[in-house]
Amino acid sequence: MSRFFRQAGDSDSDTESSEDELMSSGDEALPSKAAAAPKPAMSRFLRTAGSDSSESSSDEEESESDSDSEDEESDDEGRAGIRIMSAQEKRLAETEATAKAMDNALKINDWVAISNEFDKLTRMVQRQHNVSEPIPPIYVKTLVSLESSLTTTLAKEKEAKKKMNATNAKALTAMKQKVRKAMKEYEQDISKYQADPEAFEQDYISATSREQQPAAVSGGRVSAVQATLDETDGGFQSVGRGGRALQLTPEGIFKNLQAVQEARGKKNTDRAEQIRILERLLEIAVTSYQRIRVLLALVSSRFDYNSSVANYMPTELWLSAQREVDQLIAIVAADSSYIIQEITEDYDELLERTPSQEKDGIVRIRGSIISFIDRLDDEFTRSLQNIDPHGTEYVERLKDEKVLYCTICRAQAFYEKTKQDEPLSRVVMRRLEHIYSKPDPVVQALDSAADLSEIKPSMSLATKGSTSNLIHSLCVYLYKAGNSLLRTRAMLSHIYHYALHNDFHTARDMLLMSHLQESIHSADVATQILYNRTVVQLGLCAFRSGLIKEAQTTLQDIFTTQRVKELLAQGVHQQRFQVLTPEQEKAERQRQLPFHMHINTELLEAAFLVSSMLVEIPLLASIDSEESKRKAISKPFRRLLDFADRQVFTGPPESTRDHIMQASKALQDGEWEKCRDLIQSIKIWSLMPEAAAVKEMLAKRIQEQGLRTYLFTYAPHYSTLSLSLLASTFSLPLRSVTSIVSKMIWSEELPASLDQSGGVIVFHRIEVSRQQQLAQIIAEKVNAMAEQNEKALDTKMGGAGGWGDRADGKQGEKRGEQAQERRGRGERTRGNTRGGARGRGARFAQGLGNQMPGHTSQRTG
Amino acid sequence: MAEYDLSKTIIPYLDRHLTFPLLAHLAEINIFSVEDVQAAQYELAKGTNMVDYSENLFKAMHPDEKAPQEFEDKRQKAVSTNERLEQEAQVVLNVIENPDVAQALRQDKNQNLQYLKDNYNLTLEHINALYNFGKFQYSYGNYSGAADYLYHFRVLSTDADLTISSHWGKLASDILTGKWDTALEELNALREAIDSRTPAPFAPTVSALNSNTPTVDPALSQLHSRTWLVHWSLFVYFNHPQGRSLLLETFLSPTYLNTIQTSCPWILRYLAAAAIISTPTPSSASGSTPVSSRVKNAVREVVKVIQMEGYQYSDPITQFLMQLHVEFDFEAAQKELGKAETVVADDFFLQEFKDDFLESARCLVSEAYCRIHQRIDIGDLSDRLNLPREEGEKWIVNLIRETRMGQDAKIDLEKNLIQISRPPQPIYQSVIEKTRGLAIRTQVLGAAVAKASAPPLTTEAQAAAVAVS
Repeated sequence: MSRFFRQAGDSDSDTESSEDELMSSGDEALPSKAAAAPKPAMSRFLRTAGSDSSESSSDEEESESDSDSEDEESDDEGRAGIRIMSAQEKRLAETEATAKAMDNALKINDWVAISNEFDKLTRMVQRQHNVSEPIPPIYVKTLVSLESSLTTTLAKEKEAKKKMNATNAKALTAMKQKVRKAMKEYEQDISKYQADPEAFEQDYISATSREQQPAAVSGGRVSAVQATLDETDGGFQSVGRGGRALQLTPEGIFKNLQAVQEARGKKNTDRAEQIRILERLLEIAVTSYQRIRVLLALVSSRFDYNSSVANYMPTELWLSAQREVDQLIAIVAADSSYIIQEITEDYDELLERTPSQEKDGIVRIRGSIISFIDRLDDEFTRSLQNIDPHGTEYVERLKDEKVLYCTICRAQAFYEKTKQDEPLSRVVMRRLEHIYSKPDPVVQALDSAADLSEIKPSMSLATKGSTSNLIHSLCVYLYKAGNSLLRTRAMLSHIYHYALHNDFHTARDMLLMSHLQESIHSADVATQILYNRTVVQLGLCAFRSGLIKEAQTTLQDIFTTQRVKELLAQGVHQQRFQVLTPEQEKAERQRQLPFHMHINTELLEAAFLVSSMLVEIPLLASIDSEESKRKAISKPFRRLLDFADRQVFTGPPESTRDHIMQASKALQDGEWEKCRDLIQSIKIWSLMPEAAAVKEMLAKRIQEQGLRTYLFTYAPHYSTLSLSLLASTFSLPLRSVTSIVSKMIWSEELPASLDQSGGVIVFHRIEVSRQQQLAQIIAEKVNAMAEQNEKALDTKMGGAGGWGDRADGKQGEKRGEQAQERRGRGERTRGNTRGGARGRGARFAQGLGNQMPGHTSQRTG
Repeated sequence: MAEYDLSKTIIPYLDRHLTFPLLAHLAEINIFSVEDVQAAQYELAKGTNMVDYSENLFKAMHPDEKAPQEFEDKRQKAVSTNERLEQEAQVVLNVIENPDVAQALRQDKNQNLQYLKDNYNLTLEHINALYNFGKFQYSYGNYSGAADYLYHFRVLSTDADLTISSHWGKLASDILTGKWDTALEELNALREAIDSRTPAPFAPTVSALNSNTPTVDPALSQLHSRTWLVHWSLFVYFNHPQGRSLLLETFLSPTYLNTIQTSCPWILRYLAAAAIISTPTPSSASGSTPVSSRVKNAVREVVKVIQMEGYQYSDPITQFLMQLHVEFDFEAAQKELGKAETVVADDFFLQEFKDDFLESARCLVSEAYCRIHQRIDIGDLSDRLNLPREEGEKWIVNLIRETRMGQDAKIDLEKNLIQISRPPQPIYQSVIEKTRGLAIRTQVLGAAVAKASAPPLTTEAQAAAVAVS
């Protein structure tokens, strides 16, 4: 506790004390546990231990605030170990310690410290007063001595005012007033004390010992209870501010509830206290109506507990909130005559209501279960965002997902039963979000837990048979439910799920038929993130299924942005030229996905680079002129390759990238075996499901592409080449070698033909003179210019496209063939470029539609 | 070959009556047991008013049983309904067949209706009687009569739903009577009606019209009717002389290609077969009718689609194309061709075209083969073509003589080889090729720029003119 804090507190002692209280209650949980632990057997002591928990916490506070009280702290710990002292004795010790501290401060004339200590002392005494213990003589003694020293100091100060600094002086005056007040309060005692100090002390000791006696004989139960009734009650009893005890009775529930609700949101309300009151209220609540009302208030005050946005709810609180939501659902589900609605008619908060009194026999209560569920889920995510994912705490926390999932399922069942469509679709979406990205066994575990509860939703794994069916039915419900946002999200989750299960074609068709790529840039950020995740998963799926080209085109977009982590919400991007405002950064952080949902970016990169390698290296080999080399399919890959080329010395590969770069070089040189070994030794593959099959697939692809690269690279040096030699070099069957070569000849990539009788490839290479080459280049450039002009005019004239259509007719045959294709695509690309400013994720989001393999994009849904 | 039989897949998309020819065909080719096919035919006929036919079928199935009474009842009922409906329809028909009326009728249907109502006291109900009678006639198998009535109905009716329905009815009648020209017309009309009918996003008016399916998404219902149209059109396209190239035109247009990909990938068989059949062969090249670029490139496009949909559908015919033009595995292609031959022979739509199919397929194979190889063993090629050596040699010689390969290919009889020498394209030619269209393109561009700057002028002129007047 800083000095500054203390000063501020002094100027307004009232708030200071309340803040102290707040903190003490915050710390409370731990010491009280420690206190309770050693003597669990004796209920009596346990109770008292609980009751003075606030004291021990103020002890801690004291040790913190005192600069020279290390020994005290250890004392405190020691006490926790051997807690045999009675509560009273302990209190007495505390009081004495405080008084001593005050004496010390007095000696050095530190009035700030004195003031603090005094406040504490007063509080302690007050508490004792509440439990109707007599005032300890030490307090009176301190008070008297304090008063005398006050007067002397004041007198002294008048003479030498300079000596004291401002804060101290302030504290002094404050002290003066406080002491005066206290003196007045305990006037009687003081006068008694002043008259005869010894007699007063004697009096006190006898009073306490009298009380202790029955306490010690704890066997005499009745009397013990009788004697300590007040005391124990005081322990549990919530002590309102100003020492007013709250009387909690079933009759007064509504009054108390209202008091709590009124205090809610006020600045100096003690939230922990409120929760405790409500918990107690819940215990004594009798009717369902009361229970519902108290639970509603209790859950929301639990959510209120953390006011700051950045922080997350403590796990215990979360768990109890979760249990209470469960209770709430159970009550409402069991008794259909109670309905919780967000909008109801006004009713008297203070009256008990029963179904029989209402007009239609249904009690409507204001509140919203769905928002509790939403909040519960959000808090869960937030805690996961904040907990270090590599610690055990994260795993522990993750286990709570099961109960959360159960709660969600229960809520779904409840809403299904009561046929409330709007909250039901929200709940279904929540449920979907918990399972769509998880592998089957995890979903099974989650759902089997949900199956155990007494109320079950209509869709469950048991009834649906497989995870895919379950997700399908959840999604179909959401498609029909009509909320377009939820529909979009359900669609994306569904696609994600298919992609996760290696059903590339279905996933791709769904993505294309949804036409989401056209509208996603206008969606909210969370949906865009989901979209990005889905697309990335689709790319991985294509990779796993061996569709290298598809994988490459799908993943390309996100990698060209170079902000993979940011786009997937798995990390905050460091911007070089622009600093994020704190708000932006906060928003960014809140968006982050919890760690267990991350898609491993290294694996992603490996998949992308390997597929780029397989596409790009043969292409690179097929191009012979310098100019056309600049046209790269995959820029990120090309950049890395260029960088690797410039390296003077290359050591053995370490990172994934190193592996892939060296493999690319090997592939370029025709050493497919080395390439294969390098690729297969990448460690990250182990994270991929069916890693062995994927590796095998990659080896096969490397063989094929190696052959192609070899042919491209070395064709100029041969006039004929035996097919069987090629087959043995690349250990491919002769048939597939012939097939690959034929394909290359057919598509005019390779100027050659096969000689069937000799089993050789005959190359027809034409040497192009420099002049001819230049002529070709200039022809290409002129073509490009003409196209540029057309495009420029196109954009200038806007979307009317009137002139373009006519032009199509006149232009060569080749254009005519493509016209249909172009029109389809052109429409969309044009629309996109005019789209104007887009969100950050959108740049990636929008590009994909045009690049997806195949032309199915125009299918009618 | 039952595994490749598509009847079961196709039948759900056909009208009850259209299914009869299919089943009759199945009965002929003996890949299913006769009893099963008969049972199916009987089940089918039971739902129609073709009482005699179903009775015959029943007798054929149960030769020793007496036909149950229900046939008699049904016959009675059908006859009486027929009479009643005929009378109703006759009223309208009398009016329409009057030459005066025929002259007075105009394009505008509402006006016609008004005219008929004013002069002959004909209301919408009367006209609907035409529809009902046509439908009934169709149901007992009098297809040509049905076609007539439905035609008249359509001329007069204003009800969009019933008009569409009558379109379908008339198409079916035309198909069943075998009038392929009219069927083709009808098909095109129906296609237009379907395509123009659904401005998908502006659903309310459409869904209001679609009173029978108010909850169905209009896009979905459009897809549905397109799927049906695709199936029905098979009858027309594989019977009309121009049918195959029309089929390619239709099915390769984006909307129908999408329909096929989404809802009925098995149609790819017919698409592939049509593409193969319409490739120019030496024998067909002589009567060269001008074919559009789409038909010319059909094989390439179809291959693309087949490749894309390979995960959904494949059969020997599509596999043949795949092996030939994607994998370039001639041996596998040869095997698939062998299988495809039987599939084609057994297919209801394709059986007529078996020879054409084989011829064209061989042509495709040899074209691909020659383009890739430099020296070809004739015996080997004949093997690839599924032909015996002697015949193969003849066939190949024929091919070389009659097609454009003639210049490049020489036969070396001593070694039994074909030598193909294809001189590479000279560089200057490719440069010319590349720059060919540029002048025109730039001209068009210039014209467009001029036009773009023109409008302000004209408006100014107009403004001036207005000011003067």
